[in-house]
Amino acid sequence: MATRTPAATGRLLLGVRKWYYNAAGFNKLGLMYDDTIYEDSDVKEALRRLPEPVYNERVFRIKRALDLSMKQAILPKDQWTKYEEDVRYLSPYLKEVIRERKEKEEWQKK
Amino acid sequence: MKGIRSLSNFSRRLYAAQAAPKLDAAAFSAQEVQVTKLPSGLVIASLENYSPASRIGVFVKAGCRYETADNQGVTHLLRLAANLTTKGASAFKICRGVEAVGGSLSVTSSRENMIYTVDCLRDHIDTVMEYLINVTTAPEFRPWEVADLTPRVMVDKAMAEQKPQIGVIESLHAAAYKSSLSNSLYCPDYMVGQISSEQMHSFVQNNFTSSRMALIGLGVDHSVLRQVGEQFLNIRGGAGAAGKKAQYRGGEVRLLNRDELVHAAVVSESAAVGSAEAAAFSVLQRVLGAGPYIKRGANTTSKLSQAIATATTHPFGASAFNVSYSDSGLFGVYTIAQAASAADVIKVALGQVKSVAQGDLTAADLTRAKNQVKADYLMSLESSDGMLEDMGSQALAGGTYQPPEAVAQGIDSVSSNDVINAAKKFVEGKKTMASKGQLAKMPFVDEL
Repeated sequence: MATRTPAATGRLLLGVRKWYYNAAGFNKLGLMYDDTIYEDSDVKEALRRLPEPVYNERVFRIKRALDLSMKQAILPKDQWTKYEEDVRYLSPYLKEVIRERKEKEEWQKK
Repeated sequence: MKGIRSLSNFSRRLYAAQAAPKLDAAAFSAQEVQVTKLPSGLVIASLENYSPASRIGVFVKAGCRYETADNQGVTHLLRLAANLTTKGASAFKICRGVEAVGGSLSVTSSRENMIYTVDCLRDHIDTVMEYLINVTTAPEFRPWEVADLTPRVMVDKAMAEQKPQIGVIESLHAAAYKSSLSNSLYCPDYMVGQISSEQMHSFVQNNFTSSRMALIGLGVDHSVLRQVGEQFLNIRGGAGAAGKKAQYRGGEVRLLNRDELVHAAVVSESAAVGSAEAAAFSVLQRVLGAGPYIKRGANTTSKLSQAIATATTHPFGASAFNVSYSDSGLFGVYTIAQAASAADVIKVALGQVKSVAQGDLTAADLTRAKNQVKADYLMSLESSDGMLEDMGSQALAGGTYQPPEAVAQGIDSVSSNDVINAAKKFVEGKKTMASKGQLAKMPFVDEL
């Protein structure tokens, strides 16, 4: 979960991914990928379940990003989130929330 | 068309004229309680009563007496956590799955045991049993689900607060024992919202072991139950964390509030469950009066009520209080009275026990009391609740089941000397007292 590089991925594909990650630009504001997911009801539920320190770090990153964005600035390059350091901290929780929702929907259909 | 239809139903239509099919009497002969003890220590007991509704219970020696100083209140949370997500089924699935087959899943806990019970129609045993096994052996206690229980703990506590009896009896135990049995059935205030999922896991890990469990079934086949026990209830071996032995200390707790009605209980240490002495104490309880037997009656068979009625004109309630646990017990009197007369009421009630201790016990009273004890016990076995509870607690305590006849014999063998000695033990023993209400005129325990 720490890095999104499955062992079988070719080097070329990895290169493309890294390029795209940097091109997207949110890392220059110090954000991680999971900070940028649109907060629908599933994500809100997943956020509620996050352990407190992880949640606090997320809030810090988002606040810093809002501040930077207001000032039309980006972080110094050494503080950019690196592709390798981007942790998908929310996705296990999010997957579980979606699985639970699907389970409920399946039950309703029966 | 109509004619053809009625012809095709011909065999059905003459149904009323047919002789009733004979029931195979041998297939439905009366069954005994069957008990098996597995090598892992798990006890399986079942009674085939041919009921269309089955009831299965998992009894675990993990009541609040096994809580330690660090995890006070964890059993209260466990009681509420029965429907949380497990490794095999989500909270949603457990709830809806049990609902869909018209079953019910409930948890009760006493100071000694936690009891998980499911009820269902006989055809759905498999489905419901799966949930029962999941709940008792593979809970996940997800932190966010555990955190969501806090409001329910608060509701439970607020509802308990409405009943003075609960407060009095909880404080009575807190005052009577040093540890183990002094733990409350309810989560203490300072632990509300503080019990973590890890604490719950470690409590389950240390206490829900095979040798401390019993799988009890009513209206199920013993072999089916045995198979389930062998396959699924052997997750944790060993004896688990040893509980502390109950140490009686005696003392007093006074809970002051503005209630006009004062509840008070005065007890001293009695006997452990199953002992001959415990039988004597339960007979003594009925001799003194354990509550009215006729609705809205004058309760004239109760020695306590008779004596108190001569001492006060205020309304009151008085009964003998008797509980026994695996290694200790409490016996005494419980009174409810107006604040002004509460002191007289409790003093006269204690006076009655003293007079029994001095030998004031007629043969008629003794016979009546024994009959009441036996009737109460046998009547409790009539309901599936009572039967399951009795089988479960016996299976956990000794790994066997004593048939009702043996229990009734034990009660019959209580002599009037035994009862007098039991009363003496109470009179001479160190007292514990708990009271609640306007206590300005209430005597302290050393003044009684």
